[in-house]
Amino acid sequence: MTQAKPRAKKLPLKERYALLTRDLDWEPSYVEREKLFPYTSYEGIKIHDWDGWQDPFRLTVDAYYKYQAEKDKRLYAVLDSFAQSQGHLGLADASYLNAIKLFIQGVTPLEYAAHRHFAYLARYLEGPAPRFAALCQSVDELRHCQTQIHTISNYNKYYGGFHSWSKMHDRVWYLSVPKSLFDDAMTAGPFEFLISISFSFEYLLTNLLFVPFMSGASFNGDMPTMSFGFSAQSDESRHMTLGLEAIKFLLEQDEGNVPIIQAWIDKWFWRAYRMSALVAGMMDYMLPKPVMSWKEAFELYFEDQMLGGLFPDLEYYGITPPRHVEDAIAEKDHLSHQVYKILHNFSFAAAFTTQTPSEEHSAWLSEQYPGSYDELYKPVWDKHARTEAAGGRIFFQGLPQLCQVCQVPMAFTEPDDPTAISFRTSEFTGETFHTCSNGCKWIFDREPEKFVQAWLPVHQIYQGNCGGPSVPEVLDWYGIQDGDNGEYKGSPDQRSWAEWHSGAPKQES
Amino acid sequence: MAVKALYDYEFPSADRAENFGDDQLVYVHWDGNPLFCSAACFRVPTAMPFGEFVAGVVAPWAASDPDFDASAITRWRLFDQPLQPADDASLADLGVGHKALLHFSV
Amino acid sequence: MTSTLRQVGIDIQDAEENRPLVNAIKADNPELTIRHLPGLLKLQAAGRIVINRETVESQLGREWDTGEFQLAIVSYAGNFSEWDDDQIIVSWEH
Repeated sequence: MTQAKPRAKKLPLKERYALLTRDLDWEPSYVEREKLFPYTSYEGIKIHDWDGWQDPFRLTVDAYYKYQAEKDKRLYAVLDSFAQSQGHLGLADASYLNAIKLFIQGVTPLEYAAHRHFAYLARYLEGPAPRFAALCQSVDELRHCQTQIHTISNYNKYYGGFHSWSKMHDRVWYLSVPKSLFDDAMTAGPFEFLISISFSFEYLLTNLLFVPFMSGASFNGDMPTMSFGFSAQSDESRHMTLGLEAIKFLLEQDEGNVPIIQAWIDKWFWRAYRMSALVAGMMDYMLPKPVMSWKEAFELYFEDQMLGGLFPDLEYYGITPPRHVEDAIAEKDHLSHQVYKILHNFSFAAAFTTQTPSEEHSAWLSEQYPGSYDELYKPVWDKHARTEAAGGRIFFQGLPQLCQVCQVPMAFTEPDDPTAISFRTSEFTGETFHTCSNGCKWIFDREPEKFVQAWLPVHQIYQGNCGGPSVPEVLDWYGIQDGDNGEYKGSPDQRSWAEWHSGAPKQES
Repeated sequence: MAVKALYDYEFPSADRAENFGDDQLVYVHWDGNPLFCSAACFRVPTAMPFGEFVAGVVAPWAASDPDFDASAITRWRLFDQPLQPADDASLADLGVGHKALLHFSV
Repeated sequence: MTSTLRQVGIDIQDAEENRPLVNAIKADNPELTIRHLPGLLKLQAAGRIVINRETVESQLGREWDTGEFQLAIVSYAGNFSEWDDDQIIVSWEH
């Protein structure tokens, strides 16, 4: 072995960071501070010293671009080789792609929304350190949006449901769940946004929201999605740090901030958790080769790491675990089954397909959910299977009742009775509002003026705002094309897949 | 608790009754039938007689379940209160208002 | 500072190029447990996990900046209580 060369001389990391980040800030001389930063006081949060903000990554702009360029280089090498080798034929099954359709329709537009809002924070937060962290995150989120579009565009050449995702995100019923969550966060003040997206979404629940997609991709032969996912996740660790730093900074600045932050944690844990229900359904039902059950992921990533690790740390500041967390724990045996039932009932109006679990898949579910599946969920799937064996397919021939807050169809059951739907109502200015859970009702009652404005897709259809009164008119307005939707068995995706794997010579058209 | 904002925060409800004219939204839940993930939502005239509502609106939806038998519908409830509807009474007469929740069993 | 023995964790992409890094973390954290999930390695230890630049460099046989750790990490549980030119430490603070 040759002797290592002496390291090139450069300033220590801490000094480089101080010089290139904080020292580039200045005091305004001809504009009042309140005019320059008009949004950092009305939420009631008090900041005494913006320099108390720590960035453990101590990222500088030159290092940022160096590492991001390297990440992109690695990702695009994977994308090229996958496309050149017809890698899509090596997936576990074409039905796997339903999970990726849900991803590009539901998650990719959120990346873009996050890009926009972090750009806003990069302008309006008062301290130079959080401004720079927000700037990096804004650029990250744009990168995530773009790399996801690039990665998934390869599948759009061969499979349905990958077109028009941006339009769908703004219009389609199940996508109003993620869209309305982000709209709620973006219309809040800058500090609430930090607690909602940076802390609750990116730190508390990121592992539940993203890692299952990526491990699922890896296990089902989808190398490009796994690669962009992990490439994005490496940025995500930085975003998690921003979230954790934000909360600690705000809690340390003023004791009066503690109850405000606690209420935001209570609200945003439940908001983000309710949205993660879509991921629960995906994990347990949409992966031909399932990786880990929702229940196990919830226990590992949320109960062990967050309730067991993070919250004892935050207790030091007087923060307690989120309100209604016991309801989330109580339904971990039920959540994914109830959510996939919704998607299965309504996939005639979705840009993905669903199917009744096969016997093999059903056996896996039974093994993963010994306390609930055989008793409550299998009998219903068996009824679907019997109908299908006779040539039928049961859909819900109508529109569902939606929760005013999370906008998920009201399919969730009582924490202590998994056979009874949990109905909650509130009255506000003479009108009745329905919510799906104690958590969503609490959120509604806290800010009814905000949630009465919710754009509930079912009610909008009935108001005549979605292309017309009939299902074909609404689907057309949604941008859903024939074959994107419905049952997987017999769908265009399934037929193409069977043909590509039949070994018969291909007909050139 | 009011929404924290830099201005007077007041906006109308997106689904207020006036947006539906002479109609209203009504939710119907088939208690204890997990084939349906949730209650259904319908837009119907407030003056619609209950019998017509059941035969023309509820039954076609409930028939999504191949085992549905319309004659077996029983135990109507309006929210949590028992309801004994006469077929010719209108929804309005029965107190079934905008965004009311009805339950039935079979 | 009181020390805590609650679990901290680092998830690393399961890739050939990350193997020397994982070996270095193993060497410096004898209590470490590693769980394999599709595409990723889940490293966990009670109390803290430390990454030393020198150990990583001796595994890699080349110079390594602690900033390069950003290319390998997928997720973590804990808090970056130290991140300078020579060392990264993940721990809980309170």
